[in-house]
Amino acid sequence: MTELVVWLNTVANACAEYALAPLAFLPGWLSATLVAIVTGILMLLIFKYTSNQVSIKQVRNGIRANLLALSLFQDNISVSLRCQARVLVGACRLFLLAVVPMLVMTVPMCLLLAQMALWYQARPLHVDEEAVLTAFFADNSNEIPEVQLEAASGGEVKIGPVRVPSKHMVCWSVWAQEDGCHRLSLRIGKQTFEKEFTVGEGFARVSLRRPAWNWFDVLLHPRETPFSQDSIVRAIEIDYPSRHGWASGSGFWLIYWFVVSMVVAFCVRPWFNVNI
Amino acid sequence: MRIFTMAKNFMKHPIFAHHILLSAILLIVLLPTPAWAYIGPGAGFALAGSFLAIFGALLSALSMVLFWPIRRVVRMIFRRRPPGKIRFRRVVILGLDGFDHHLAEKFIEEGKLPNLAALRDQGDFKPLRTTLPPISPVAWATFQTGVNPGKHNIFDFLTPDERTYQAKLSSVTIRTVRRRIGWGPISIPFGTKPDVQLLRKSKPFWNILSRYGVFNCIIRVPITFPPERLRGVQLSAMCVPDLRGTQGTFSHYTTRILNDSKKTGGEVHHVQRKGNTVQCELIGPRHPSHPEYAPIKLPFTVTIMGSDQVKLKINGTTHILQQGLHSDWIQVRFRVGLSTTISGVCRFLLLKTDPEFELYVTPVNIDPEKPAMAIGYPAVYPVYLAKRQGPYATLGLAEDTWALSEEVLSDEHFARQCIDIEGERESMFFDGLEKVPQGLCVCVFDGTDRMQHMFWRYLDEEHPARPADVPDTYRQVIEELYQRMDHLVGRTMAKCNDDDTLLMIVSDHGFTSFRRGVDLNRWLEENGYLVVDDARRNEEHLAGIDWSRTRAFAIGLSGIFLNISDKFEQGIVDPGKEAQRLRDEIQQKLTDLVDPGHDTRAIKRVYQATKTYRGPYKNSAPDLIVGYESGYRVAWETAMGRTSKDIFHDNRKAWSGDHCVDPTVVPGVLFCNRKIETGQVRLFDIAPTVLDIFGIPAPDYMDGSAFEIGESNDSGDTGVCENEESVGIESQVI
Repeated sequence: MTELVVWLNTVANACAEYALAPLAFLPGWLSATLVAIVTGILMLLIFKYTSNQVSIKQVRNGIRANLLALSLFQDNISVSLRCQARVLVGACRLFLLAVVPMLVMTVPMCLLLAQMALWYQARPLHVDEEAVLTAFFADNSNEIPEVQLEAASGGEVKIGPVRVPSKHMVCWSVWAQEDGCHRLSLRIGKQTFEKEFTVGEGFARVSLRRPAWNWFDVLLHPRETPFSQDSIVRAIEIDYPSRHGWASGSGFWLIYWFVVSMVVAFCVRPWFNVNI
Repeated sequence: MRIFTMAKNFMKHPIFAHHILLSAILLIVLLPTPAWAYIGPGAGFALAGSFLAIFGALLSALSMVLFWPIRRVVRMIFRRRPPGKIRFRRVVILGLDGFDHHLAEKFIEEGKLPNLAALRDQGDFKPLRTTLPPISPVAWATFQTGVNPGKHNIFDFLTPDERTYQAKLSSVTIRTVRRRIGWGPISIPFGTKPDVQLLRKSKPFWNILSRYGVFNCIIRVPITFPPERLRGVQLSAMCVPDLRGTQGTFSHYTTRILNDSKKTGGEVHHVQRKGNTVQCELIGPRHPSHPEYAPIKLPFTVTIMGSDQVKLKINGTTHILQQGLHSDWIQVRFRVGLSTTISGVCRFLLLKTDPEFELYVTPVNIDPEKPAMAIGYPAVYPVYLAKRQGPYATLGLAEDTWALSEEVLSDEHFARQCIDIEGERESMFFDGLEKVPQGLCVCVFDGTDRMQHMFWRYLDEEHPARPADVPDTYRQVIEELYQRMDHLVGRTMAKCNDDDTLLMIVSDHGFTSFRRGVDLNRWLEENGYLVVDDARRNEEHLAGIDWSRTRAFAIGLSGIFLNISDKFEQGIVDPGKEAQRLRDEIQQKLTDLVDPGHDTRAIKRVYQATKTYRGPYKNSAPDLIVGYESGYRVAWETAMGRTSKDIFHDNRKAWSGDHCVDPTVVPGVLFCNRKIETGQVRLFDIAPTVLDIFGIPAPDYMDGSAFEIGESNDSGDTGVCENEESVGIESQVI
């Protein structure tokens, strides 16, 4: 499973390299809006061609008819309750009809959101700013081995290592010195474990974590290849600062994307003749 | 366990997990349904919609159960109580337009209508005295109001305009008026809207029932357009126009070169075939804000894919048409602005592709899902029906009799069209029966009338329009129609099989053959009452008549009007004694009219409106109403306002059966699941009878009186015949 996700991430990274490249130059609100619009339309089209449009239309019409019947024939409670029951049955059928497109869309949507998270979930460190780097070690190791963090050209280790044996982790404070995408190396004996370290202004892809060999972790952190299953280091992550903004800020980009993509899909639905 | 571990790891994540989870939780808590959009807007909406529907339905059900007792108590306190005793909780009236008493009796005796026979045995079967003239708009207006035509003001389909003498619809006026917006003395015109006025006077009995809180479901009863307010639901019928504002204009597209592009009830469009493609234009309504402009056109493309199949592309949608098969209802949208469209529905029928291309399109009906004007009450009722059962025919006269008469459609195509409309109607009716366990449910099926009009030539062996070789499939077409209606009655009986439902099967009139047409205007001309310019004889709408020398004229299906000076703009007849003398004179002469070709009397009786009708509108009636003998009817020429050179004409059109004769020739039917103790029953007795059943006294203005309803002869067996095999129309005609 993890191998499959790694492979999917490779494809997604390659596609996003070009497709999302303009995000680096555009204002956050504009790029978030554009991505939401495009994905809204694309998902609508995928929905159109992966769902049973005829059945959806029939079921929707049935639900609407029964809802109208509730107001038209409200005199009789048994008639009204029958209509209510039919609305419920219709709603359940509609739910089932959405399962296939939902399954089809889940994978591309997860990949897309993970790629978007690279841009919007955190911002790169500015020069002279500090961040905490944490290395997680395998739970089965009795004690944390000797570990050394080698500073990259763009950064310098300021504090650390701070060992937390109970949690199998070691922390450092890293100081950003120069703009660019750098690599930090963790040395344990003869082995070296690397982690991407991004410094700069504006928008850039920021990999919060180099993931463990776990499909879910890999899915959420697509930028860097995961550590192997038998690696002593399970994951390395950097506590990048949050990005601010109502459209592309750390706490909001996902909601903004949900809302805008849904509104766009709803608005363009008549043009694409999609029953949803 | 693994999932828990993953979740735990995820939760440990400092930034990403925190924010994503927070967002997700917020979404789930605050906007529960959009959270599903994670899988994409399309599926998100679908899931959101279904969840909303589930929550909505549950909430609504809960509130309904909670509030229902309160509503019930409020209604019991404030509703107007009927003074009398309620005899049945539900009255169901199934109207079969033109269902003939003589034929029904004959087929029952032959054992061909088992359900109607069972209904007769269970309750009663009687001839129902119809109106003068026995024409659907007149008869159904009388049915619903319980009054004679002198009180409801409908005397024919058409009536002459008092200024121009042009024929106009007698039951409704449709015009376009300016929409205005404003406040106080200031008002600004913006756009236009249709202004529809019902010319039928008096009140339908369901309006009286509504006042007493009785629920009504009135489906396709003629002369209910525009729809009126009532307690319940109503779908209008006769006189509902098509999207062009006409009573139905079909389109015929052909590559053949034709001399005349105008046909009665339709238009022929010459099109060119380029390779396998034919470009056509569907004619739509006029621009609502600029009615002076040409009608809006909707282009469509037909691509010929084979000898019996084409691809139709219209409004961005593609449909495959098979030769000889009607398409489903297709929604068409005529653009009137950047964001405004007028929506209609029509059916396409590929007639042939080789050697010439021919395509028939039904009149563009008002789209019931997005009606351009009110065609039901409340306005959402037609929408509800469309959502429930799909698009359906909304045009008043939905079966395209003109297209068959003009030989655009074949018998088979027309029969199929009628049967499809019957199916739509049945679906509405049975839904009404299900939704109305108490109250009144009325539904009229008018396909019986249309099919008898068009196929009587196969029943009448002496009909001039009868082909030398009648195809086997059409020999019994009328009989099969009656059998199909019998099965409809059977299914209805099965749904009304309780002690609290009174079921009546009613027809407005019967039917007879229309072999010979009588050109009344020619007769009036020969007898010196009418003067026509010989060169303009063939012009329609009475165009060639010299009004300064004309004392009487005929238009419509049954009436002769005197050119009275205080009624018509160019009137010359004094309304007093001269008019009465003229009426007596014409009545006398016309009654003696003999058809020289057959040496038989053509007219049974001529009635004077002033002596026959009672009520405030009797002066709007034709002065004389002609009651023809069986086999005769007013000639096509007279109906259209032309004057031919002969009084008598053989009727060689497919329109071969009719009922515009003397009312005694074509009584309707009344079947009831209870014994009717009254001897003779009349159409206008039904309204007071239904009122009486619900304990409401009939108003004084009603001419009818409630007939006495006894007990059922029922032995417990409904006698409903479920055998479908005897209904041969599907297998034989189609």
